[in-house]
Amino acid sequence: MFRLMLTTALSALPLIAAAQDITVGAANVTPYVDPGRDHSNVGSQFYYNSFDTLIDRDHTKLEPEWTPGLATSWELVEPTVMELKLREGVTFHNGDEMTADDVVFSLNRMFQATFPPYVVRAKDRFANFTGAEKVDTHTIRIHVEREEPLWETLISMQQAMIIPEAYTKALTGDPEVAEDSDFEAFSLAPVGTGPYKIASFQPGEKLVWERFDGFWGQPAPLERATVVQIAETASRITALKTGEADIVTNVAPDQLSLIDSDPTLKTEGSATALFHVMIMNQNHPKLQDPRIRQALSLAIDRDALNEALWLGKAVVPSTHTMAEMGALHQPDLETFDYDPERAKALLQEAGYDGFEITYDTAATYYTNGLLAAQAIMEMWAAVGVNGRVNVQDQWSGGDAEMMTRNWSNPMYFADPFGSFGVMWAPAGPSESEGRFNTDAEYAEKWDRFRFSSDVEARKAAYAELMEEIRQDPPVLPLYRPFESWGMQNAVNWAPLPGHIPYVLDFRAGSISLADS
Amino acid sequence: MIPYLLRLAVKAVVTLFAIVTVTFVATRLSGNPIDTFLGEGLTTEGREALIAYFDLDRSLWHQYLAYLRGVVSGEFGLSFVDRRPVTTVVAERLWPSGQLLLASVALTIAVSLPLGVLAAVHRRSWIGSAIMVVAFTGYAVPSFVLAIVMVLTFSYWLNWLPVVGNGTWQHFIMPTIAMAGVLIAALTRFTRNAMLDVLGQDFIRTARAKGLRETRVVLKHGLGNASITVISVIGLQIAGLAAAGSVVVESIFSWPGVGQMLVSAAILRDYPVLQFGVIAVAVAVVAINTLTDIAYALADPRIRLARA
Repeated sequence: MFRLMLTTALSALPLIAAAQDITVGAANVTPYVDPGRDHSNVGSQFYYNSFDTLIDRDHTKLEPEWTPGLATSWELVEPTVMELKLREGVTFHNGDEMTADDVVFSLNRMFQATFPPYVVRAKDRFANFTGAEKVDTHTIRIHVEREEPLWETLISMQQAMIIPEAYTKALTGDPEVAEDSDFEAFSLAPVGTGPYKIASFQPGEKLVWERFDGFWGQPAPLERATVVQIAETASRITALKTGEADIVTNVAPDQLSLIDSDPTLKTEGSATALFHVMIMNQNHPKLQDPRIRQALSLAIDRDALNEALWLGKAVVPSTHTMAEMGALHQPDLETFDYDPERAKALLQEAGYDGFEITYDTAATYYTNGLLAAQAIMEMWAAVGVNGRVNVQDQWSGGDAEMMTRNWSNPMYFADPFGSFGVMWAPAGPSESEGRFNTDAEYAEKWDRFRFSSDVEARKAAYAELMEEIRQDPPVLPLYRPFESWGMQNAVNWAPLPGHIPYVLDFRAGSISLADS
Repeated sequence: MIPYLLRLAVKAVVTLFAIVTVTFVATRLSGNPIDTFLGEGLTTEGREALIAYFDLDRSLWHQYLAYLRGVVSGEFGLSFVDRRPVTTVVAERLWPSGQLLLASVALTIAVSLPLGVLAAVHRRSWIGSAIMVVAFTGYAVPSFVLAIVMVLTFSYWLNWLPVVGNGTWQHFIMPTIAMAGVLIAALTRFTRNAMLDVLGQDFIRTARAKGLRETRVVLKHGLGNASITVISVIGLQIAGLAAAGSVVVESIFSWPGVGQMLVSAAILRDYPVLQFGVIAVAVAVVAINTLTDIAYALADPRIRLARA
């Protein structure tokens, strides 16, 4: 007890700096490590330190600026074929040298997926990619079905990170064959080419990164970084205070002042590239009239929610768009609005007779989710809607009886296709669950948005899609939640704008520890 | 004694069967693992493929019978989340939980027995009353309140004790006290009451009449006989403690034990882990209860003879 007291009294900070060793207290530690099948917010924290993609980007910039990763150059040799030159002298954490075979294996396990968890990811984002082939030891080609306007964007996704072929196949069963059980085993004993190797991993509990001396790029600034799960918020913040943790994740807005008021601690945060949304079932018998859903949407004062729940730090969008989407960011579009008078008029026109409208939410799944639901009920009541919050943990988005509920639309990659485009694609998650309808006209617009090679054409098509959403609304993006991290003053780290949400990037240039 | 043991065994098996069944049904009513751990944006087709991959597309009856067959042959399945055998997942959590349990029970016995005896002997003085007031208050304070208050006081403000994990002996202090708090309160009251019962008996008067010293009367004849009640309370309370206290306390202190595992398995709807975890705790509870019954019977011949 006194030892701890003394070390903290003498300030643990110089010790931390000298050791280049940090501890991160995370609300959640991933139960498995496989960049291919994962796209969860918990998992995203863990991939960038240990794995590389062929093409990378400058993560300090909001606008995409592509940089060489495991590929040193790339060019289209045909409209649907890209040839990439691979970096030489790259080694995996297990000592194997990276060759074209590893790259082809990694990509085809996604492009031509048979392992069910990969199939899901392959369909929603790699559907246009037919396969990869080896040209020589350090050259590969990637084939797509139709001309691809998003080559770099899609090849630089977490799901396209490179893993070793021979190592993975040999994990279980026949060492010459990639079995499902090999991929299962890989996710507990992951090996990549990044600056940190995963030295130890206890699923859901603890992950330790150690500097990988054989890394091809700039050496990792930290010798070791340990991520431990501290599920309880109070314990997480206390651990930061006692010096047991150098960084803690998922600090709720109402806890920020606790950390900021301590002179030895600070917080960093950003509006996460993810929308908390309200979805409305277009096919519920009582909600089929679009005017009712328009009214439900127009009645919600999202700026008031932002002020009350997020201290004004969240971002309320005018349409389904994010600044991270670069040229495709369209803040001028006005798809979603607050207009209670218009809401009342629409309800009257639609002949709304005061029937109950339910709003489903889990108790704790989304930060402030339940509070937002309760506030929305008040806003609905103000225009005469008889709303009721239905708290249940079960996902109801596929139930025919579901009327409205909360959900999220993350940005899986920096393009409208990576957010709206996945969630609201023809035959995508929303339509397949039966709460969203598309027709040939919508599909044609979506296709133009997805595949046009001209940016202006893509923007125009996207605006047309947003108009469809406005006319017959299935969704209202509420806000981009504000996510914060707490840390010791000596830690120089902040989430970078070029990453997808929640990435813990400890690569060279992204983190440093002060000397005093 | 043999028929008595047989009856205990049957009781234990029936209890465990009921627990397996209730756990199976309850976990499946609570939500779907596909939605919780694969993130958002699954198409219906994708969800169905994954449901089939995890063998959740069979009827509930089929799954239940398959599970029972597995349980009987000692196969408890793979975790949905990390695909390891659930026995491995639970096994690596047992020792940290066991350590915390042993520490709390030791602390409970060390504190409660002297306090209980003291409260009984001084039942008419302020000492006895003071002990009982503290015990009643302690019984009313839930372990999570005690834990959070300690965390705030000794870590957040005073910065004396660590809050995360089980690395050093300092890490044991707060979780042990948080787990033991309610137990100490309960056991002190039971010890006092049992002692009062015994101290009013004729053989105590006889012992005093023989001219034995009061310490010897109280400790040997008094506590010796009160131990029957005390043993049963320790047994039953350990069982309750293993199940309930550890879930809360381990979560607050990020203690890598069974309780913390149950919480994350429940959040992720990892049915196999959750089921096996609950079964493991249930087996521990039933075993402790059964052993308590046996110890009880051994300590008091009236019990085994009356029931035989």
